[in-house]
Amino acid sequence: MLIAAAFLFLVIFVRFFYIQVISGAELRYKAIDQWTREIPVVAERGKILDRNGAILAGNITSYTVFARPNAVKDKQHTAHVLSEIFSLDEGELYEDLVSAKVSELTVVRRADAALAEELAAYDLPGVYYARDNTRTYPYGELLCQVLGFTSTDNEGLTGLEKYYDKYLAGMDGEILYDTDLVGVEIEGGNAAYLPATDGLNVALTVDKDIQIIAEEAMADAYLTYSPVSAQCIVLDPSNFEILAMVNYPGYDLNDVPREDTDLLNSLTRNRLISDIYEPGSTFKIVTAAANIEEYLQGNASAFSLSKIFNSSRTRTVDGTTIRCWSNHANGKHSNQTLAEALNNSCNPCFVDIALSLGKQTFYDYLEAFGFGKNTGIDFSGESQGMLIPESAVRDCDLARIGFGQSLAVSALQLACAGAAAVNGGYYYQPRLVESISDGGNIEEGFSPVLMNRTVSEEASRTLASLLEGVVANGSGSKAYIEGYKVGGKTGTAQKYENGAIASGKYVSSFLGFFPADDPKYLALVIVDEPQGAYYGSVVAAPYAKRIFEGIIEVRGIAPYE
Amino acid sequence: MPSEAKNIAASEKTRSVRRLLGGQIAIPVLVVALSAFGVLMVYSASFYAAETVCGDKFYFMKKQLVGFIIGIGAMAAASLFPYRKLLKLKWPALIISLVLLAAVFIPGVGRESYGATRWIGLGPITIQPSEIAKYGFVIFAAAYASENPERMKKFVGMLPVLAAGGGICLLVILEPNMSITMCIGLLMVAMLFLSGVKIKHFLVILIPVVAAVPVLIAIEPYRLKRLYAFIDPWQSPQGEGYQLIQSLYALGNGGWLGVGLFNSRQKYRFLPFAESDFILSVIGEEFGFVGILLLFAAAGALIWFGIRTAARSRDLFGFLVASGITLVYAIQVVVNALVVSGSIPPTGLPLPLISSGNTSLIFTMAAMGVLYNISKSAKRAPARAGGFAEKRRAGAP
Repeated sequence: MLIAAAFLFLVIFVRFFYIQVISGAELRYKAIDQWTREIPVVAERGKILDRNGAILAGNITSYTVFARPNAVKDKQHTAHVLSEIFSLDEGELYEDLVSAKVSELTVVRRADAALAEELAAYDLPGVYYARDNTRTYPYGELLCQVLGFTSTDNEGLTGLEKYYDKYLAGMDGEILYDTDLVGVEIEGGNAAYLPATDGLNVALTVDKDIQIIAEEAMADAYLTYSPVSAQCIVLDPSNFEILAMVNYPGYDLNDVPREDTDLLNSLTRNRLISDIYEPGSTFKIVTAAANIEEYLQGNASAFSLSKIFNSSRTRTVDGTTIRCWSNHANGKHSNQTLAEALNNSCNPCFVDIALSLGKQTFYDYLEAFGFGKNTGIDFSGESQGMLIPESAVRDCDLARIGFGQSLAVSALQLACAGAAAVNGGYYYQPRLVESISDGGNIEEGFSPVLMNRTVSEEASRTLASLLEGVVANGSGSKAYIEGYKVGGKTGTAQKYENGAIASGKYVSSFLGFFPADDPKYLALVIVDEPQGAYYGSVVAAPYAKRIFEGIIEVRGIAPYE
Repeated sequence: MPSEAKNIAASEKTRSVRRLLGGQIAIPVLVVALSAFGVLMVYSASFYAAETVCGDKFYFMKKQLVGFIIGIGAMAAASLFPYRKLLKLKWPALIISLVLLAAVFIPGVGRESYGATRWIGLGPITIQPSEIAKYGFVIFAAAYASENPERMKKFVGMLPVLAAGGGICLLVILEPNMSITMCIGLLMVAMLFLSGVKIKHFLVILIPVVAAVPVLIAIEPYRLKRLYAFIDPWQSPQGEGYQLIQSLYALGNGGWLGVGLFNSRQKYRFLPFAESDFILSVIGEEFGFVGILLLFAAAGALIWFGIRTAARSRDLFGFLVASGITLVYAIQVVVNALVVSGSIPPTGLPLPLISSGNTSLIFTMAAMGVLYNISKSAKRAPARAGGFAEKRRAGAP
C-alpha cells in the first residue's frame, strides 16, 4: 500500500511537473487569447496630397460602436439609449443583445464624433467605441481614377489608394484588456495599449490647379462632342512628372457607385494608362525624331531637312497601296520638306522615312521611345500597347507604323515618347508620386529616373522647332497662343472594331508642349469618338490650348520677349 | 538545577512530545491546516463567479466556513468517541447510508444538478449521501469482518460485505455518479483484501467489477465522449475537451511558483467547477508546481499517518477502520490529481478537505477524528512491540 501510494504520488508529480514547468509557457501562450478582448485602435490612413500640399484624400475622425451582449448589464436600457443616439431600430437591437448570438456586435460604424461623445456620457457597461476614420476626398471627382478609393475597412481598392496602400494604411493598434469568460472586463485587470501607427502621407507630382484646368477642359470637350470619353495627360517633359490626368467622365470619390459593377469598372478605369489605341498622326513625332537623329549621325538613308518628298498621294508597298488622308489635289501636299510634311501631316512622307530607315533602325527608335513595353509608372494595370515584333514585321506594316497605324499605344506611352523627343532626348520613368512622408519628415523621396536617351539634344531641338511650326503654320494652329512657343502635332485615327475599320468612329488627339525651346509642359488630349467633327486639329487642339492658357495663368508664366 | 537533572527533564520533555506525536496529533493538525487552506482556496477560486452569479463573493466561502467549523466540532467529538463503540453501529451505519442514498430518488427531496441527482435537500441544507455512504461502508465492512475474521475466508462469509458495497455502488451509479462509484468499488476491493479474503474469492468479485467498467462507460454516451476528450482534448476545445484544456491552462499559467494567491486568471469563469472538482487547478495556478508539491506533501503526510495508525492499531476493527478512512482519502486525492492533470478521463470528484462541499468536508473531518482516536489507543514504539498488523503479518492465526 505504501509503495503503491508512493508510486502514484510520483506519477502525479511527474505529470504536474510536465504540465506546469515544461509545457507552462506554451499553455500560457494559448490561454492568453481567451483572457483578453481587444478594442481596435484604427490607424489614421495617410493623406494623399498634391505637389503643393493640397489634400486630395484625407480622413474625418469617426467612431465605431460595439456591444458585447454578455457584458451589457441592462439590455433594455442599453438598446434604448443606443437606438436613440444612432437612430436605430430599438426592437432589433434589443433582440441582438438578448440573443447574444455573437460575442461582439457592431452597433454602428463610422458614427460622428459628436454622437460618440453623447454615448460616452451614458457610460454603458458592455458598450465600447473605437476611433475610426472615414476617407474623404475634398475635391470629389477630381483625379478620381488616379486616386482610386478604399473599401469600407479603409483598404485601398483601386488607383493610388491601392498602389501605395502599404504606405497609406499604417498599422492598427488595439487596446487589450482582461476579461472573464463572457467578455466582462475584470476590475483591476490589466489593460495593454498598443498604439496605432498612422499611415504615411503620399505627395503626388500632380498639380491640383492644373488638374482642375484639365478637367474643366475635358468636361467641355465631352459636352461639345459627346464622345465616349475625353482624356488628357499633362506632364513635365523635363522629368516626366505627371501634372494632371483626366479621364472624363468620372465619378464622385465620396459617393462611389459600388452597386453597379459595370458602371464602376468603366468609370474607375484610368484609360490613359490601361487602354490602348491606334495613335495616328501624333506618332509622326517619333518617326520624324528618328529621321532627324539618323540624318545628323550621317545615315545616308535618312532625309535631310531640305529634302523634297515625292508629292504623289500614294505609295505602293508589298503590293498594297497606302494613301494620304488628303487627296493632294490642287497642289496640296506638293514638294514638301519634312517641316511641311509635319505641318500637313502628310502620310506618304512618313512611309518614305520608315521604309528608308529600315526595319532594324526604325525598331531601335521604337524601343528607345518605349513602345511595346511598360513605362514603369507607379500605377497598376499599365498596358504595354501592341507592336508587331521586329522579326514578324512586313514592309507594309513598317510603312504604316511610320504614320501611326498598325500599332497601338497607351496615351501615357505616347505622351512619354513625345516628351522624350522634344526634351533633349531623355526618356525618364514617368511618376505620379513625388514623396512619401510621415507629416514632417520625408521617408522616401523620388527623383527622376533616366531610363535611356532617345535622340541627341540637337535632333530634339530641331524637332521641337519643327513642331512649333506645326502649331504656328500647320494643322496645329488651333493650339497657337500668342507670345508663347507652343509646339505640337495633331492626330486623327480611325477606330477598328473586330479587325475592320469602324466607319465614323475616330480618335481625335493632339499632343502639344510649351515652351518649345525648353519644354516644361506637355499635354496629350484624346477625344474618343467625337460626334460632329473628328479632326484632331479641330476637336483636340483647342483644348490643349485651353489647358496651356490655364497653366500660364495659374503659374504666372510671362510671354517670351 | 544541576545540569544532569536538566538533561533528564529535557529528555522527558522530548519523550512526552514524541508521545503526543506518537498519538498522531499530526492527523488533526494536518486536517485543520488543509481544511483551513481549503476555505481560503474556495474563496479565491469562487469569489468572482460567486459575485457574478449569486451577487455575493463570499457565497461559497461562507458555506465552506460553516462546514469547516462544524467539521472541527465533528472531528473533536469523533476523536473523543471510543472507536470500539462504532462496532455496534455496524447496521445503523449501513442502513442510514442506504436510506440516504435511496432518498435521493424521492421526488422533492432529491436535488438535481448538471443532469445528476446526487443531493438531498432539506430546506437550505443539501447533503450528498454518497459522501456519507463511503464511511458507512467502512464501518460496516470493518465491523463485520472483525466480529468474526474467519468467516471472511469463506466465500459465503464475505458476501454481506460484498452485498453492502454492491448495493451502495448500485445506488450511486443510478444517480448517476461514475467517479464516486469507482472510488467505492476500489474501497470495497481494498477492504475485502485487508479483511483477509482469499485470492480466488477475491477474483470472483474483481473480474466482474473490472468487466463492468467498459459496460458502464458504454451505457452513457457522455462517458465515451469524455474518454475521447481525455485522449485528445484539443480535438474539441469548445466541447468535451473544454474542461480539461481549461485545467491545463490554469496549471500551465502557474509554472514553477504560481501567479500568487487570488491572481488566478482561469477562475474568471473559464474553468468550470473551479471551487469544487477543479480547485486543484486553481491552486496549481496560484502557487505553481512548488505549491502543488507542498500540498501533496501535506496530503501524503496525512496518508502516511493514516497508514501508520492502521499498522499500529490494537485490533482488527481499528486496523480496518483506519485503513478504510485512509483509503477513502487517498483514493480521492490521487484520482482528483490524476483528473486535474489530464492523466485519466475527467470525472467529477472533489479534492477531500479542500474542495467546496460541506458533506464531504464535515464527514471527512469526522472520519479523521475517528482515525485520530484509533491512533491514540495505538501501541507505542511499533518497531519493538509491533502493532496488530505486524502480528497478523507475522503469521498469527
